Amino acid sequence: MNIRSQVSMVFHLDKCIGCHTCSIACKNIWTDRKGAEYMWWNNVETKPGTGYPTKWEDQEQYHGGWEKNGDQPINIKSTGKARVVPNIFHNPYMPSMDDYYEPWTYDYQNLFNAKEGSDQPVAKPISMITGEDIAVEAGPNWDDDLGGSEIYAANDPNLDGLSEQQRLQLSSVERLVFFYLPRICNHCLNPCCVASCPSGALYKRGEDGIVLIDQKKCRAWRSCVAACPYKKTYFNWFTGKSEKCILCFPRLETGQAPACFHSCVGRIRYLGVLLYDADRLEEVANLPDEELVEGHRSLILNPHDPEIVRKAQSAGIPDGVIESAQQSPVYKFVMDWKIALPPHIEYRTLPMLFYVPPMSPVMADFEQGLASHQMEGLFHGIDQSRVPMKYFANLFGGGHEGVVRYAMGKQLAVRWHRRAETVGDVDRATADKFLREADCTIEEAEAIYKLTSLCTFEERFVIPPMYREEAIEMIREPHEQRAEAGFGFVGGPRRGL
Amino acid sequence: MDTPERGRKLSVFSPASPQSKRIRLFLPAPMTKGLSRAFRFLEILQPGLLAICLGAATVSQIPVLGQDTPDYFRQNCISCHTIGGGRLTGPDLKDVSKRQSREWLVDFMMNPRAVIDSGDDYARKIFEESRNVPMPTPPGITKDRAEKLLDLIEAESLLEESQFRGMQISTAPFTDADRLSGRNIFLGVQRLQAGGTACISCHSMHDAPALGGGQLGPDLTNVYERLKGRAALSAWLVAPGTATMQPIFRNHPLSSEEINSLAAYFESTTAERPANSSTGRVAFLLSGLAGAVLGVFFLDAIWNRRFHSVRRSLVEANTSRGES
Repeated sequence: MNIRSQVSMVFHLDKCIGCHTCSIACKNIWTDRKGAEYMWWNNVETKPGTGYPTKWEDQEQYHGGWEKNGDQPINIKSTGKARVVPNIFHNPYMPSMDDYYEPWTYDYQNLFNAKEGSDQPVAKPISMITGEDIAVEAGPNWDDDLGGSEIYAANDPNLDGLSEQQRLQLSSVERLVFFYLPRICNHCLNPCCVASCPSGALYKRGEDGIVLIDQKKCRAWRSCVAACPYKKTYFNWFTGKSEKCILCFPRLETGQAPACFHSCVGRIRYLGVLLYDADRLEEVANLPDEELVEGHRSLILNPHDPEIVRKAQSAGIPDGVIESAQQSPVYKFVMDWKIALPPHIEYRTLPMLFYVPPMSPVMADFEQGLASHQMEGLFHGIDQSRVPMKYFANLFGGGHEGVVRYAMGKQLAVRWHRRAETVGDVDRATADKFLREADCTIEEAEAIYKLTSLCTFEERFVIPPMYREEAIEMIREPHEQRAEAGFGFVGGPRRGL
Repeated sequence: MDTPERGRKLSVFSPASPQSKRIRLFLPAPMTKGLSRAFRFLEILQPGLLAICLGAATVSQIPVLGQDTPDYFRQNCISCHTIGGGRLTGPDLKDVSKRQSREWLVDFMMNPRAVIDSGDDYARKIFEESRNVPMPTPPGITKDRAEKLLDLIEAESLLEESQFRGMQISTAPFTDADRLSGRNIFLGVQRLQAGGTACISCHSMHDAPALGGGQLGPDLTNVYERLKGRAALSAWLVAPGTATMQPIFRNHPLSSEEINSLAAYFESTTAERPANSSTGRVAFLLSGLAGAVLGVFFLDAIWNRRFHSVRRSLVEANTSRGES
């Protein structure tokens, strides 16, 4: 057993209001730079929808992630040792600028400087790439709130396996539905971007599992861009280096939550450490599709188990981190309650960002101009949700409904339970029945309710001590640097060697 | 080609196995104060410079650096001279020190051209005997080395059979098989036994196929005539003496059969006119351009998806559906 620690995340989608505050916080801190204008390390998508870049989940297009052929061990789908060379001048599976969007700003100066004329001066949109006028056609959240759109919602790859009727329902007025999917880098356990880099520029930080790109080693191959199935590495066209979400490690190292977490108004984000067994990664990444979610969970170790704690200590994990792992809200969501699920586990990168699937409005019937609700009792069952279970299964269950059904059922049970507690128009017996069906105790329901609704800042973000002063000793001898303290000659990333 | 029937034997030297070459490199000491600063800078770069010089030296294999006198003789003299094997382009050097004074010989070796031009009678005589081919100044010759060479020649002259007596080359008349084999060797269709480079890499020929032969060396169509016949041509091929060919063939000498075949082939082309090198160059340029254009189309075909946009195709599919 090779125990390591990983800073992991949960996004509670039921609470996301799609305000994009997280995206803006990230943009302002990290990607408001030349060459990074189009990057959204954090973005919020409307689902069903095609997302950013367009149809990123369609691996027929982008060839992201790992592929498994029969009994063969998994392979990177987009590239390989031999395939790097023939594609040296053109990587065939890259999203184009149009698939992200051409970033633009407005010519505000024109409002002040325009010559006197008969028309009101306007601030024309200007491309941030070319500096020319552009007709804006697309943006990173172009389909924001556009549930049911024929171009975007109808082409969501997660609609695979839905019946024609279900699809029709998702695009008809009064029946259509959408929810939000905020996305950052998943800091995967089996990151395809790291595996694909010919220069070895990407790495997973040993002490906390944050996946980073070394800006000095990056040689602009862009293999990571093609390989990441979540399309969360981006190529900076100005510096000639790839970039990605760094989980605000400078903030984490100083005990602050990452900017997108900190700024989230819906308080949907949770962060904490998980301990996992790195020896079993290969075995789990090679499991058949239907066993992946369970296999992924089986990697995560119980930090309350004294045996695990002892082994973690002997593996060099500091006590502070182990204590932090015991407090981790992520462990509760993923392992205790099993209501948070990894996105698209079938890409086999073993993402360490988990989503609590959202409850959706009740299915409505629309007849003779009147909308009626099909529902028995107070809350509708999970199968009456407007978002078909199959859709969630495609998104969070690797195509299999079981784990999603469990997570949704438990959330529903918590609602029945709280209704009985606070309003009292539901009798205890009904609430208990739902809890039993959902494999949930009253204590657990209370805990889920508390961490979902009444969570404090400290409960949501259990940031482990980073011990950078010790971690740095792995790559550098601090005593040798003693006389060189200071900021030194910090240079920005530059194109070339 | 081992013909059982052989006529009179011509003696031509066979190069002995090459001695190990040691290349010594010096960075010259600075001569003046002004220079010394520049050299100090060079010293910083010395490892790099050394590497570059070593590389350059290995490539060009400067022939001056023959390790000892026999080695030097082998590398620089035997393509024109024998010791007791009869004359080639130059005279047989057996007992040469009995024909002229040592002082005269050293002067001549130091600068043959100057002695010939000075109107010296004996020098003119051997110049004419050599069909007016002047002896080139031996590379890196010094008085000391010239003396040593003369010592060597004297010592070798006393021997019954000198190591520089040369190799036996057939004088049997050329056959069609010889000529065909010579042509194949020239074109590189038939590999050289010792692994030498095919002639066409550097030389052209009146009927060289497709893009013509190499342009580095001269056209060989009339080489038989230029080198005045079979004996001298064969001697040349035993140990090619030019700075370009020497390093290539020193370690990969031609066999006597190969030399015979090539001589046969070159003899057969004497009447032809050399290839017009300018047409060859134009053909080369044009085919290069055509190749580049084809390459561009080929790469375009391979990577024709590179402007493909996922989003735009969705939008276009939807718009066209709306219109129809």
